[in-house]
Amino acid sequence: MFAMTLPRSLRRTSPITLVLAGLLAIGFLVFIVSPSSNSDTVSTAKRKITNAASHPLSPPTAPFVKQDTSVEARNRPPPVVHYHLNNVTTTADPITNEETVLILTPLARFYQGYWNNLLALSYPHHLIALGFIIPKTREGNAATLALQAAIASTQTGPEAKRFASIIIMRQDFDPPLQSQDEAERHKKENQKTRRAAMSRARNSLLFTTIGPSTSWVLWLDADIVETPPTLIQDMASHDKPVIVPNCLQRFTNGEGKADTRPYDYNSWQDSQQAADMAANMAPDDIILEGYNDMATYRTLMAMTADKSDGRNTKAIIPLDGVGGTALLVKAEVHRDGAMFPPFAFYHLMETEGFAKMARRLGWGCWGLPNYFVYHYNE
Amino acid sequence: MNRHNAYINGQKGSFSRESGDLSISPHRFRPQSQPALRRRRQLLVRLGLAAGCSLLLALLFFPSFRTTLMTTASLGLLAPAVAGPELPLETVREYDLSNSDGTARGWEREERVLMCAPLRDAETHLPMFFGHLHNFTYPHRLIDLAFLVSDSKDNTLNLLNQLLTELQNDTDPKQPYGEISVIEKDFGQKVNQDVESRHGFAAQASRRKLMAQARNWLLSAALRPTHSWVYWRDVDVETAPFTILEDLMRHNKDVIVPNVWRPLPDWLGGEQPYDLNSWQESETALALADTLDEDAVIVEGYAEYATWRPHLAYLRDPYGDPDMEMEIDGVGGVSILAKASVFRAGVHFPAFSFEKHAETEGFGKMAKRMGFSVVGLHHYTVWHLYEPSVDDIRHMEEMEQERKNREDEERERAERMKKIKDEFNDPGSEWEKDKNSIEGISQQEDQIRKEHDAAMAGKEAKDQEPTDKPAKEKSDETANKETKEAKEGTDTKKTDGKDGKDTKEAAVPKDTGEVKEDKASKDAEGLKRLDEDTTSKDVQDTKVVKENTASKDTKGVEAIKEESEDKGIKSTKEAKEDTASEDSKATKEIFKDKNIKGSKEVKDDTDSKDTKAEDKNTKDPKVVKEKEA
Repeated sequence: MFAMTLPRSLRRTSPITLVLAGLLAIGFLVFIVSPSSNSDTVSTAKRKITNAASHPLSPPTAPFVKQDTSVEARNRPPPVVHYHLNNVTTTADPITNEETVLILTPLARFYQGYWNNLLALSYPHHLIALGFIIPKTREGNAATLALQAAIASTQTGPEAKRFASIIIMRQDFDPPLQSQDEAERHKKENQKTRRAAMSRARNSLLFTTIGPSTSWVLWLDADIVETPPTLIQDMASHDKPVIVPNCLQRFTNGEGKADTRPYDYNSWQDSQQAADMAANMAPDDIILEGYNDMATYRTLMAMTADKSDGRNTKAIIPLDGVGGTALLVKAEVHRDGAMFPPFAFYHLMETEGFAKMARRLGWGCWGLPNYFVYHYNE
Repeated sequence: MNRHNAYINGQKGSFSRESGDLSISPHRFRPQSQPALRRRRQLLVRLGLAAGCSLLLALLFFPSFRTTLMTTASLGLLAPAVAGPELPLETVREYDLSNSDGTARGWEREERVLMCAPLRDAETHLPMFFGHLHNFTYPHRLIDLAFLVSDSKDNTLNLLNQLLTELQNDTDPKQPYGEISVIEKDFGQKVNQDVESRHGFAAQASRRKLMAQARNWLLSAALRPTHSWVYWRDVDVETAPFTILEDLMRHNKDVIVPNVWRPLPDWLGGEQPYDLNSWQESETALALADTLDEDAVIVEGYAEYATWRPHLAYLRDPYGDPDMEMEIDGVGGVSILAKASVFRAGVHFPAFSFEKHAETEGFGKMAKRMGFSVVGLHHYTVWHLYEPSVDDIRHMEEMEQERKNREDEERERAERMKKIKDEFNDPGSEWEKDKNSIEGISQQEDQIRKEHDAAMAGKEAKDQEPTDKPAKEKSDETANKETKEAKEGTDTKKTDGKDGKDTKEAAVPKDTGEVKEDKASKDAEGLKRLDEDTTSKDVQDTKVVKENTASKDTKGVEAIKEESEDKGIKSTKEAKEDTASEDSKATKEIFKDKNIKGSKEVKDDTDSKDTKAEDKNTKDPKVVKEKEA
């Protein structure tokens, strides 16, 4: 019986009703279509285009539009580009302010754990640029190949995981970094040359990549394999010029249980003993931390860690020396000239010397003793 | 099987009532179903038409609707179209830093240079700077420009933008530069940029720290892994060689600076060493540094810090070898060429007191500390613009005042001189009277002489005739120019030369230049007389004189001498008349010493450069007496 009523009702409807129905349908279509103009796909695509430079001669922290290969286009002079550094902010809320972060890593060995941890960072990846410096050695070549493979899969993978720009730099270290074995690396006599070379590598990486738009620089060592995904936001929220988390190492203790031990001894508060030691040193001598024959009695942040579950991860202490395993620096500190001294600067080198130089420039250094990042265990 | 009820295909011929339990049976409703289907189809067509029309209208009236529609449509069907704008993006860059180490012949290896110029209120210097940019011989496309515009209150930014756009759009393909970055950053500097406050001692330390900060910001924003060299250049360089990049690069040093001088106004010595920040460290300075507080900054060129350092600027020899190098410790920032590897290693411009130095001097110190070579070229000079200091401006005002005073004085003196001249012009008219009276006397004497001449006229006349005319012309000439001795000389020569064979023999060897050809005259007086006569334009007189000379009659000579003296006086007056209109200087001279001048005139008139004659005339009291009479 119902089947009979349908054609009958249709038969009775006037054309005006049909037109109205049609209009309603169109209106519905428009309603469906119009919100899609604000959809995420479109906006990210647009943003990526506006962030991208139009010429390969551009700051490496942003991608650039591939040029057409015609002779005329190649010969066209690059445009005049204005950079408003007054508008580059570094605030406690970097995501809302769309502040770009440059993650710099001196790379000697590639650990998949490092890369996975990087991909897990929750900071918007389109605001992250990565910079690597790799020595031109056999080990470095292997690391480069592994890194390139990881980059290739990430940058062609899901868009949300892609980074804005990636810079790979190769450099001949002078003197070239010897073995990266932990035991060899930490020998005291090797420390000065090693740290000088590391400083140069860090400076080379920093000053060629920082560019005009970077707000924050995150130094992240290649052997940091575990950090909280919110690492950048958490550290930036303290709004300090230089801030460093506590770096630990996971290991299996004597009882066969998983445990953690302090790893980075370069974050410390100075002591009178160390100051006296420095006063009696030759200008080119350096004080090293973590060696028994050089007792500095400094307060080491690594030793003050509260490992309990209910710890206050926001606890913050001022520091005189910082380690470079994970180090968040406001770009203006580096722009003012704070770098990693490859020479004895107040008897300090590399990241510790950097902390000293930053303080000489009027920037304070801070540490988060209860906020942990984990170093790879060799 | 019931064949009647069967179709060919084996279907039953008729539906059985039992099997057809559906209320809608096809054979029963078939005639009615057709219009319903048609109606449904018509409805669909109408709906489709309406939708199409409204879509068309929407597309017509709302252009933005078109893109929306396109993206929606392509969302499912054309996935690559969405990714389309992303596809040409390049996100990975790889560099090998050993390719950008910098070598001595960078232009051949296509090494990129970053040229940095910090700007603040530099509007006035920009056109000059762009003039330099046009002239650089290093391939422009290999040079990246970076400007830092900070705290500028003038039109620097707009002008810079305009000039850069012009530069990049230049039709000459060799003009446009590489990457151009204009970095705007305000440091909120309170420091004034005028010359006085810029160079005042008290302001130096904080000013230089701020300058260092600006330089570091500029460098960090502009340095790329591709750069092999970094060239720091101040915009207020006035003159520099176009080849400066190549010239400095050729030395293949890590940090190299030329000597910087500046031109000065003449009253300040013409030129001056400008950049005193390039120096060699001295023991005194090191000792001084030890006594200073951690944040103190030693600045050069101020009496407060006597460092006794050897300065690059003071060692300049304008003719020295421009390639001569000198090891230095502090560098000046006007024009620094450094390898990019120096900056990559971490050397920067300390914005704090680094070993008691800041900015460029600290840069030099830090580069040295890291083992880089830092050299200066003391004979290779670039010229900084001269901006007068407040003292200089005050001094220039004083000088201007002095100049005005001097001009006034001169004007006064000129007026005084004119007055004097006017006073002395009166004697001129007196002389006129004198002249007339004397002319009367001389006419009488002429008369006497003519008579005498007539008596003496003889064979000599024939010899003289050809030279008479030239002699006459010469005498005219000399009458005009007689007061100028230099001219007298030449005139004499001419006259003598043309005058004739007879005068040649009467040589006066003493008078070397002027009277060489006066050899003919044995009797100098005679010759003089002869010339006097020529001046008087009396052909006959000349003849007489010749006769006299020939006869060597001393008596006659004496007589003629007297005549000639009279004549001389007369001609002097004539000369005076001439010169009054023509040669005021000569006139003045005449006024100075009437008597002596008068005698000179006589001499001039006679057209003889014979010194003897001159002496005689000057000494001859008679002449003077007669004049006075």
